[in-house]
Amino acid sequence: MDALVFALLNGVIYGLLLFMVSAGLTLIFGMMGVLNFAHASFYMLGAYFAYALQGLVGFAPAVVLATVLAGAVGAGVERFFLRRVHRHGHAHELLLTFGLSFIVAETIKLLFGNQPVDYRIPPALDVAAFVVGSQQYPAYRLLMGGVALAMFAVLYLLLTRTRVGIIVRSAIYKPRMVEALGHNVQLVFMGVFAVGAALAGLAGAIAGAFYTTSPNMALEIGVMVFVVVVVGGLGSLGGAMLASLLIGVMTSFAVGVDRSLADLFAVVGARDWAEGVGGLLTLKLSSLAATLPFALMLLVLLVRPSGLMGSKN
Amino acid sequence: MIHLRQSIVPMALFAAAAAQAAPVKIGLLETLSGPQASTGQTYRSGVRYAVEKMNSAGGWNGQPVQLVEFDNQGGPAGASDKLKAAIADGVQIVVQGSSSAIGGQITDDVRKYNLRNPGHEIVYINVGAEALELTGERCNFHHFRLTANAQMRTKVLVQGMKQVKALGTKVYSINQNYSWGQDMERAIVDNAQAGGYQVVEKTLHDVNKIQDFAPYIAKISASGAETVITGNWSNDLLLLMKAAKAGGLKAHFGTVYLDQPGNITNAGDLALGHFVAHTFNAEAGGSDGERFVADFTAKTGHAPVFVEPQAVYGLEMVAEALRHTKPANGQLDVNAFARAMETTRVKTPMGEFSMRAADHQLMMPLVVSMVSKDAKYKADGTDMGFKPVKVFSAEEASVPVQASCKMQRP
Repeated sequence: MDALVFALLNGVIYGLLLFMVSAGLTLIFGMMGVLNFAHASFYMLGAYFAYALQGLVGFAPAVVLATVLAGAVGAGVERFFLRRVHRHGHAHELLLTFGLSFIVAETIKLLFGNQPVDYRIPPALDVAAFVVGSQQYPAYRLLMGGVALAMFAVLYLLLTRTRVGIIVRSAIYKPRMVEALGHNVQLVFMGVFAVGAALAGLAGAIAGAFYTTSPNMALEIGVMVFVVVVVGGLGSLGGAMLASLLIGVMTSFAVGVDRSLADLFAVVGARDWAEGVGGLLTLKLSSLAATLPFALMLLVLLVRPSGLMGSKN
Repeated sequence: MIHLRQSIVPMALFAAAAAQAAPVKIGLLETLSGPQASTGQTYRSGVRYAVEKMNSAGGWNGQPVQLVEFDNQGGPAGASDKLKAAIADGVQIVVQGSSSAIGGQITDDVRKYNLRNPGHEIVYINVGAEALELTGERCNFHHFRLTANAQMRTKVLVQGMKQVKALGTKVYSINQNYSWGQDMERAIVDNAQAGGYQVVEKTLHDVNKIQDFAPYIAKISASGAETVITGNWSNDLLLLMKAAKAGGLKAHFGTVYLDQPGNITNAGDLALGHFVAHTFNAEAGGSDGERFVADFTAKTGHAPVFVEPQAVYGLEMVAEALRHTKPANGQLDVNAFARAMETTRVKTPMGEFSMRAADHQLMMPLVVSMVSKDAKYKADGTDMGFKPVKVFSAEEASVPVQASCKMQRP
């Protein structure tokens, strides 16, 4: 029972972290149609900003500042780069962000070196929230989950319940009309991109301390974030949330399952045969935990190409 | 006038010799870009230092040894490609260390090239790829492993931890799911009897793909293990240990790559009391170790860490073998060099290195160390370092030749 609770909790919190990073990506795609390859780079930037600032201002202000800075970089990227290539079409935007992700990674290597940096959670937060059996549950993980949930609530309310949300949504749908009504559509796009980048920066600033802050962190999470967005449906915030949780819980439970296909064959009394064949048949599910999300993506693409909650077109 | 002639004659002689004799080219085929670049660059700094030392001692055949660097871009495909470029460039000695997957590709390519080009052989000096198959079913005459392997590392790790009563009777094996991790898992099981422990559970996981190790820690915790032995490196080790700390896991870690730069600074105090089986520890090397650290620091600007010493002493073996290889028509005869390698012995601060001719596995001493604040040399600019627990001589650390190695000699 303890194990089950822990597996569920671990999975949900990791899922929420994935959501924090993928929310911005799906938002930007949904609003602007830009598939932002550099999105995970903002996640990395957030972590490095917070690392560089925490010595000066302390942990919590550093996280806030890192979020703002990542957002500012995002705004700059939209204003001075993406806007210029926008009229050439999506392929150019994609290539631009792709190149940007390399530039960010190499710049960070130049400034901070190739190795992980010494960015850790402050001792005050490095405590156990509760203990079940012989295991502690770190308070910081709960904090990460809390921040992600708060972020989801704020975003959702902002988009559906406020005037800003109405303008943003209509700017996506009919930009010319919104412009004619006197709204600055360019500014709306810049704002959306900046918010998306800031969200990734916030996730990086928080998760970088718990995991590691290294020049590879963008690469490591980047792939998974794309899986989340594809499974959830490109552009759907709710879909991203659902897919994140699904992937988090699935990997967490898979780790605990030491079963292989041979066990399935055992039901019909063919275990010895299956073990004799080896290969795929004796591969334990637990050793595939990190690969399962890709299998899920494949399945979703086959059965429901628009994603779990994506729009049909 | 006499003066002038005196200076011209040796110069003319030198020019004549140079026209005939080609300098030995050592090609470094490392991962110098991409996610795993930091490891490749560490090998590079060790190799550069060693080649510089070779040249200050006179090079080979009166000419400096040339070091040419190639970036294999982190994968076997890139390595295969760059090996061709290296051969075209006249490289006769290929050096590589990071990743057994790349090592496997190079050793196969070298073997095939030598079969097709008799008389123009090349030799692969492996300073870091530790998968057992390289000296097992894939062993060949032109491959030399100048580092340890999973069986050797686990053997000494288990003995060292047992000696300071940090081993316990329940061991959890967690490793990366590829040749190296699978070798480690087998070695952990094989050493159970000698170490007096029981392997409570074995886990293989994806390589450098996992962010969140909390589910694995939950599993280790549930198994009641007192010790975790792992061959994990890079992020997989760091994240595993961080998750262990966060989950309050009270188990000793026995590792192979804890001394990778960045690990100690990033892990902080949680690294204290964990073990590593490594190839070099300056503190255990006494005054010789001290001299090496001082010289390396003077030449490169930083103290030798991680795989740098093993790259340096591996190349020292190469230098020693070169000293015993006579030039044939002014050139290096690679087969003669390889035969010289087979009988080479080198004194290092850790003890004597020697090459085992049967499978080309280096017989080398290994050190088991514990992370401690009492260590003489601090790691990563922290107040912690690696305190030697025990130095195992080359005989103590050695494991028998694998039966699968059938070496074809020219």
